[in-house]
Amino acid sequence: MNKTRRIETTVELVRILVAIGIAYLIALIILYAISDDPIFIIRQFVLGPLSSQRRIGSIINLAIPFTFTGLCFCFMYAVNKFNLSGEGIFMFSGCIVTLTSIYLGKSGLPPVIMIPTLLIMGALTGFVISLIPAYLDAKLNANIVVVSLMLNSILVFLSIWILKYGMRDPSIGSLGSLPIPETARFASIFGKFKIQAGIFIAIIAVIVVAIIFYKMVFGYKMRVVGSNPSFAKASGINMLGTIILAQLIGGSLAGIGGACEILGNYDRFKWSASTQHGFDGLMVAVLARRNPILVPITSLLLAYIRIGADVVNSKGDIPIEFITVIQGIVILLVAAEEFMGGFKKRLIYKAAKDDLKSDKEIVVQEILADDESKTEARKESME
Amino acid sequence: MPMYTLDWFANFGFSVLRLSTPLIFAALAAVISRKAGMLNMALEGMMLASALAGVIISGLTGSIWIGLIGAVIVGVLAGAIIGFSNLTGKTDLYLTCIAFNLAATGGTVFVMYLLTGEKSTTSAAIKAFTVPSITIPLIDKIPLIGKMVSGHNLLTYLAFLSVYIVWFFLYKTRLGLRLRAVGENPKAAGSVGINVTRIGYISFLISGILCGLGGAFMSMGWVSFFMKNMTNGRGYIGLSAMNIAAGNPVGSALAAIFFGFSDAFATMIKGRGGNFPTEFIEMIPYIATIAALVVMNMIRMNQKRKIEKGLKQ
Repeated sequence: MNKTRRIETTVELVRILVAIGIAYLIALIILYAISDDPIFIIRQFVLGPLSSQRRIGSIINLAIPFTFTGLCFCFMYAVNKFNLSGEGIFMFSGCIVTLTSIYLGKSGLPPVIMIPTLLIMGALTGFVISLIPAYLDAKLNANIVVVSLMLNSILVFLSIWILKYGMRDPSIGSLGSLPIPETARFASIFGKFKIQAGIFIAIIAVIVVAIIFYKMVFGYKMRVVGSNPSFAKASGINMLGTIILAQLIGGSLAGIGGACEILGNYDRFKWSASTQHGFDGLMVAVLARRNPILVPITSLLLAYIRIGADVVNSKGDIPIEFITVIQGIVILLVAAEEFMGGFKKRLIYKAAKDDLKSDKEIVVQEILADDESKTEARKESME
Repeated sequence: MPMYTLDWFANFGFSVLRLSTPLIFAALAAVISRKAGMLNMALEGMMLASALAGVIISGLTGSIWIGLIGAVIVGVLAGAIIGFSNLTGKTDLYLTCIAFNLAATGGTVFVMYLLTGEKSTTSAAIKAFTVPSITIPLIDKIPLIGKMVSGHNLLTYLAFLSVYIVWFFLYKTRLGLRLRAVGENPKAAGSVGINVTRIGYISFLISGILCGLGGAFMSMGWVSFFMKNMTNGRGYIGLSAMNIAAGNPVGSALAAIFFGFSDAFATMIKGRGGNFPTEFIEMIPYIATIAALVVMNMIRMNQKRKIEKGLKQ
């Protein structure tokens, strides 16, 4: 029993590594094939992101929003609901937080009050938005994927509308909001690394989520509901409540992510299209196999590849877009049950066979021992 | 204020039909997948890939028709990739589609850059080809309707014809019946000897043909070049149209035309300038979908409750 689980975990790990390896290899082959100076470009892609403190800082900065949306999708996945609203929430929360900060900025609140208020605002935005698909799914059985996808598009237009008519700065040429007040912005820390202070919030979020998942009754309930609904129902777990609450927590995390991104890296809100952070978070969660503890690691990995592509883009003539193809391949390979599935089955089969063999030997020995004792007993009776 | 003359109405009607074309193709592609029991979220990426393929292949060969066939083939290939990943590789369908859309958004820009050196559009680099427009002989003489209905791109007429073809395929052919059987209950269908995997593949391939035509219309009819992310959510709108009509081909097409109408309306208001927030018009397809889902499921829930009540008595 435990043997099978151990094999599954090992294969799972190997699978992810192989998938990333294959994708990385494809990236290198593409770079090699289309570049005039492949060695230089590949070195830029592999080592470029680590070559300066500034770039390492930007890897970490990029990993912060991925961590938040990744954690968001861990919750959605835990209860087996494909709620994609994290994508829209991320952008919309950035918009709402900017709007709030502009209004609060006039009152001259100190950062100690300002920043927590804005974070709560972001979380609240996510909470309310994710309630829509969660509720419609739970109460009316409306397809959660469709509802959340539609919701994402609505949120994009809503954000643009708020930006245009609620907080547009007419003094700048492009479409952008009024500047976010200084008191609301995160400081950048660690000197030359220029890491945004949102990293502390991200670390706290990971720890809290890990505690919820693995140390709290709610986390256990959630995982039971996700992996075995019939058992959860039979053991009297409040199914609807657990499923909805998990999605609300997930949505709040995406909201905090949007708030951190806008307060940490921007001086105004100027997103005019969906940021794709939600779908990146989905990939992070898939790669982390829905384990929140692994989310920061896979976020860093994705951010490393992204910054690598950025470096290549600025150095050579290679368009950064090819990285999304690589990303697609990684998702497919990691999510494909059949990818290395035969390998897993063989291993489990072999282990079971070995078990059977040793079991048989034990049985044979038992029978022999039984026989011996019987013959001895017979001998005794004969005597 | 422009004058709301007969001409104006004719022009508006014309642009409604034109803007509906890709939506109808997308909606029908979604219908085929839905009837086979699947939610095809990858329409967006499939259309985008076909749109680029049409431009490139027609540019390379110098023939519109080879370009059009190329676009359809790429659409079918895209369907095959998704089918392989989902049916043979046993990957979660939603994840497959999201991954495919991701790859198509970036991949089309990448291929475009490799071939033309441009990152946003092929309009300068590749010679433009468009599928010809057709004037319908007698009808174009009718005052208002003539101008609305006649003179459209061949693919627009094909879109309307496809509604009938898809309906006929689903409800009047053996394969269509099997496809619906698989969609209703794959295990029951499998138990009577229908090859469920093969039907799944067929549904993705047909979906691919329709997406190929829709994509070709975008880059070889609507405009004559490929532009970065030019489908701009039309795949998702097609998906919504299908959802509103619960997979009925005719209803889905009507919903698609309604969304084409709101699209034309938004374009018109934008064109007039002024300060009207067009964002809310652009939201219509998405809000309508959610509202339709809510209403439909409420009715379904009520029926279920009534049946349960009846059983108890």
